Amino acid sequence: MNVMTDLAPPVLDVRHLSITYGPLKAVRDVSFRIAPGESLGLIGESGSGKSSIAFAVMRYIKGAASGEVHLAGQEILSLPEPALAALRGRVAAMVYQDPMSALNPAIKVGEQIAEAIRLHRRAGKAEAWARSVELLTRVHLPRPAEIAHRYPHQLSGGQQQRVVIAMALACDPQLLIMDEPTTGLDVTTEAVILELVNELRRETGVAVLFISHNMGVVAQVCDRVGVLYAGQLVEEGTTQQVLRAPLHPYTVALMRAMPSIEGPRRRLAAIPGRLPDMRAPPPGCIFAARCAIADDNCHAEMPALEAAEQGAAGHRSRCHHRDDIATRLPPEPLVEEADLAELTAGRPRLQIVDVQKSFRARPALPFMRGPAPVRAVDHVTLDIAPGRTLAVVGESGSGKSTLARCVAGLILPEEGAIRLENDVLAPLVQKRGRGAQQAVQFIFQNPDAALNPHWSVAQIVGRPMTLYGFERDSAALKRRVIEHLEAVKLGERYLSLYPREMSGGEKQRVSIARAFAAQPRLIVCDEPTSALDISVQAAILNELLALQRQHDTSYLFISHDLGVVRHVAHQVAIMRQGRIVESGPPSAVFGTPREDYTKALIAAIPTLEPRQAPALVTA
Amino acid sequence: MQALGFILRRVALLAVVLLAVSVLTFAIVNVLPGDVATAVLGDMATPEQVTAVRAALGLDQPLAERYLRWLWAALQGDFGRSLQHGQAIAPMLSGRLGNSAILGLITLGIAAPLAVALGVVAALKPGGWLDKVIGAIAVGAYALPEYVIGLLFILAFSIWLPLLPGSSLMDPNENPFSRPEALVLPIAVLITGMLAFISQITRASMIQVMGSAYVRTAILKGVPRWRVVMKHALPNLLPPTIAEIGMYFGYVIGGLVVVETLFSYSGLGQMVTNAVSYRDVPVIQAVVLLVAAAYGIGNLIADVAALLMNPRLRS
Repeated sequence: MNVMTDLAPPVLDVRHLSITYGPLKAVRDVSFRIAPGESLGLIGESGSGKSSIAFAVMRYIKGAASGEVHLAGQEILSLPEPALAALRGRVAAMVYQDPMSALNPAIKVGEQIAEAIRLHRRAGKAEAWARSVELLTRVHLPRPAEIAHRYPHQLSGGQQQRVVIAMALACDPQLLIMDEPTTGLDVTTEAVILELVNELRRETGVAVLFISHNMGVVAQVCDRVGVLYAGQLVEEGTTQQVLRAPLHPYTVALMRAMPSIEGPRRRLAAIPGRLPDMRAPPPGCIFAARCAIADDNCHAEMPALEAAEQGAAGHRSRCHHRDDIATRLPPEPLVEEADLAELTAGRPRLQIVDVQKSFRARPALPFMRGPAPVRAVDHVTLDIAPGRTLAVVGESGSGKSTLARCVAGLILPEEGAIRLENDVLAPLVQKRGRGAQQAVQFIFQNPDAALNPHWSVAQIVGRPMTLYGFERDSAALKRRVIEHLEAVKLGERYLSLYPREMSGGEKQRVSIARAFAAQPRLIVCDEPTSALDISVQAAILNELLALQRQHDTSYLFISHDLGVVRHVAHQVAIMRQGRIVESGPPSAVFGTPREDYTKALIAAIPTLEPRQAPALVTA
Repeated sequence: MQALGFILRRVALLAVVLLAVSVLTFAIVNVLPGDVATAVLGDMATPEQVTAVRAALGLDQPLAERYLRWLWAALQGDFGRSLQHGQAIAPMLSGRLGNSAILGLITLGIAAPLAVALGVVAALKPGGWLDKVIGAIAVGAYALPEYVIGLLFILAFSIWLPLLPGSSLMDPNENPFSRPEALVLPIAVLITGMLAFISQITRASMIQVMGSAYVRTAILKGVPRWRVVMKHALPNLLPPTIAEIGMYFGYVIGGLVVVETLFSYSGLGQMVTNAVSYRDVPVIQAVVLLVAAAYGIGNLIADVAALLMNPRLRS
C-alpha cells in the first residue's frame, strides 16, 4: 500500500486549507493527502473543524475557504459551478451522519440512487434502475428489487445508511467522504456498516475520507489517521502509530478519556479547560492551555507538524515535546477499585417489581381492530442497592428508556410496582407525594430540552430547594446553590447565566447540580453523556461517581454504551426487546457473558484493534 | 388503509361540525332580538296580523321542534321559502351557488399555482431583489382589504382605463361565461388577496426545505439546481402548502361576499348580504350551512390531497 501511496498521484490533495465563518477561524492551514484506495480518518471533537473539512472537499460550505483542494487532479475551490456539479457524486461522493434526514422522504430509494446514474452516466431509465437494484444488492440489502420501491421511512436506520452508501457508490467514485456515518446507529448495526465499508474498499479500491469522533471506529476502517483540535491538524500517522503510540498530548488525553471495554479498568481522565476562543486563537500551541506538559515556549511559539527525531517519517506531531512525550506525560491514573466495589450492601434502595408497559398504535377507526401492541417493557424485575449504580444497557427500541420513565413516574406501567425502600411509589409522578418526588430525580440525555431557557442557573438549581422547603432564606439559598455548582466544577460566576450561554457539558453539569439539589435517594440518568464529547463525558462520569460516593445516592443509569457502563456501574442489566436477557456485576457480564446477545454486543464494539472476523449480527 | 381511516374520520367529523353549525345558526338567528313576523309585515301591522303570520311560519311552536322540523326538511333538500321573495330557497340557491363556485374555483385555479411559484422563486435567493419585490407586493396586498383593492381596480381599469366593466349587474340565472369580461375584475381582486398570503407561506417553507439535509444530498450528488428545486424540494413542499391553501379556503369565501356585493355579481355572497338586511331567516340559515359545508369539503379535499402526496402518511 505504501509503495503505491508514494507513486500514484493522490485522489485528494488538500493544501493549506483554511475555513472561516465570519470572525470564526474554524479550520487553519490543514494539509493532507489521500492516495488511491487509501483510507484516512480525521478524528476530532466538536469544534475541531472535521465536518467543515469534509464538506469543503465537496465545496459545500457557508464560510469562506482559502488554500487548495485538488480532487483527482482538479482544483475545486476555483472551479465553476457546472464543472463542480459534474464532479460531485461522480468523482467524490458523500455518506452522511443521519441517513434518515439525508434521504429525500418523498422519493423512492431506488430512484434516489438511479438519479445520479442517469445524470452522470447518461444512462436510460431502465438501465439506471437495474444498476440501482444491483447497488442495493452490493450493500447486502435483503430483497433489493423490493427495497428499491420503498420510501426511506419504511427502512430501518441501518438499511437507510446502506441506501446512502449505495447512492454514493452509484457512479464508482474514486473517493468516499464519510461524515460520522455510524454515529446514531446501534453498535451491532455500526459493526456491520464498518465491515461493509472495508469490503467495498477491498473490492472496489475506493479511497475513503472518514470523519469521526470515535477512535475505535476509525481503527476499524482507516489506514492513516489525522487528529484535529480547534481547527488544526495536531497529529498524523498510520492508525497503529497514532492510536498505539501517540505523539501529541491531545491525542493521549483523548485516549485516556475514552471509556473502553478492553484492558484493565482504569479511571477516565478528563481534559481540563475548554476550546480556545476561535475568533482569536492563541499565538503558540493551540492545546497549550489544556496541556499537562506545556511550558513557556509552548504558549509563545506554534510548533510545526513534524516527525519525531527517532520516529517514523510519516508520523508527525504538532508538539514541541514530540521527541520525549512519553517520559514527560504523567502516568495514567489507575482505577481505585473501591470506587466500583461490586458487592451489594443491605436492603435494596429501589426495587422494580415485574413492571410491564406496552404501546398500542391507534386503530384507523374507533370500531376497528388496531395493530398488536408492542411490549416495550416485558415483566422486568431489578434491584438497586443504596449508593450503587445499576446500568441498563440496550440498543434502540430495547425499552430501556421506557423502563426509566416508568421508574420516574413519567408514564403509567400496566403492571408491576416501583418500591423505594419501604414505600411502594404511586405509578405516576404527579400522584406521588412531595417526599417521593424529592427522593427520585432525573438527568436527561439532552440538557437543552431539560433546562428552562428562560431561567438562570441560580433559579434552576435553587428551585428544588425552595420547592421541597430546604431553604427559605435567600442568602442561604444562594450559598447552597453555589455549593452545588462547585460540586460539579462550576463556580459562582455561572449563577446569572442562562442555558443558551453555556456549552453542552456545562448545561449537563447544571442538570446534575439540579438533581442533587433535591437531595434525592435515587437519580435516573437517561444517557446523560451520549450527546457530549469524549473529553467532557469523562469529566461528567467522574463527577457522577464522586457525587455518588459523597451523598450515597443510587443511580439507575440508562445507556447504549458498554464502555461507559463498565466505568460507572456496580450492576449491569442487558435489555433486549423489553426483556432483561442477562444481568450481574460488570466483571461477570463483560468478562464471561452467558447469552449470545451479550456476546454479540461486546463483539460489535469497535476497539482500537482492527477486527478481522466479520460481525456476528446482521442489521 | 391508514389513509382510508383518516378520510372516513374526517368525513364523520365534518358531519358533526355541520350539525353544530346548523344548531348554532338556528339558535342565533332565532334568539336575536326583533321579530320575524314584524319584519315581514312592517311596523303598521296589527297584533292579530302578527299572530297569524307567526302561526303561518310556525313561529309559535317550541324552538327545538322547529329546529328538528327544519333539519329534517333540509336533509331532503328543502330549505323552506324565502320571506323576501316568497320562492322556494333551494332552486334560488343552485344558480347562485354555481356562480359563486365559478368565481371561487377560477380564483383558486389561478392563484394557488401562481402563489406557490412566486413563493418558490422568492425563496431561491432570500434577500435578493426578486424576493424583496415579491415580499413588498405581498405585504401591500395583504394589508389592503378586498373592498379597497376592488375599488382601486375599478378606478384603474374601468374608469381611468375603461377596459373592463366595473359591475357585473348579472341576472341570477344568467350564465357568467356569457360575459367573461365581467368576471375579470372580481377574480383579479380575489387573486391579489390570496397571492399575498400563500406566496409568503410558501416562501417560508421553501427556505426550510432548501436548507434540509436531503436537498444537500441532492446537490452533492451533482444534481443541477433547477432539478433540485423541481424534483427534490417541491414534492416535500407541496403537501403542507396544499393543506395551507385548504385553510385559506375560508378567506376566499369571505372575499366572495365582499367582491360579489362590490361588483353586483349575483352569487351566494350577494344573496346572503341581502338576506341579512331583510332578516330573511330561512335564506340565512341555508346559505350559512352551505358555506360551512363548502369550507369543510374544500378543507377536506386539501387535506386528502396533501395526505396522498406524502408517502409517509399514505402507507
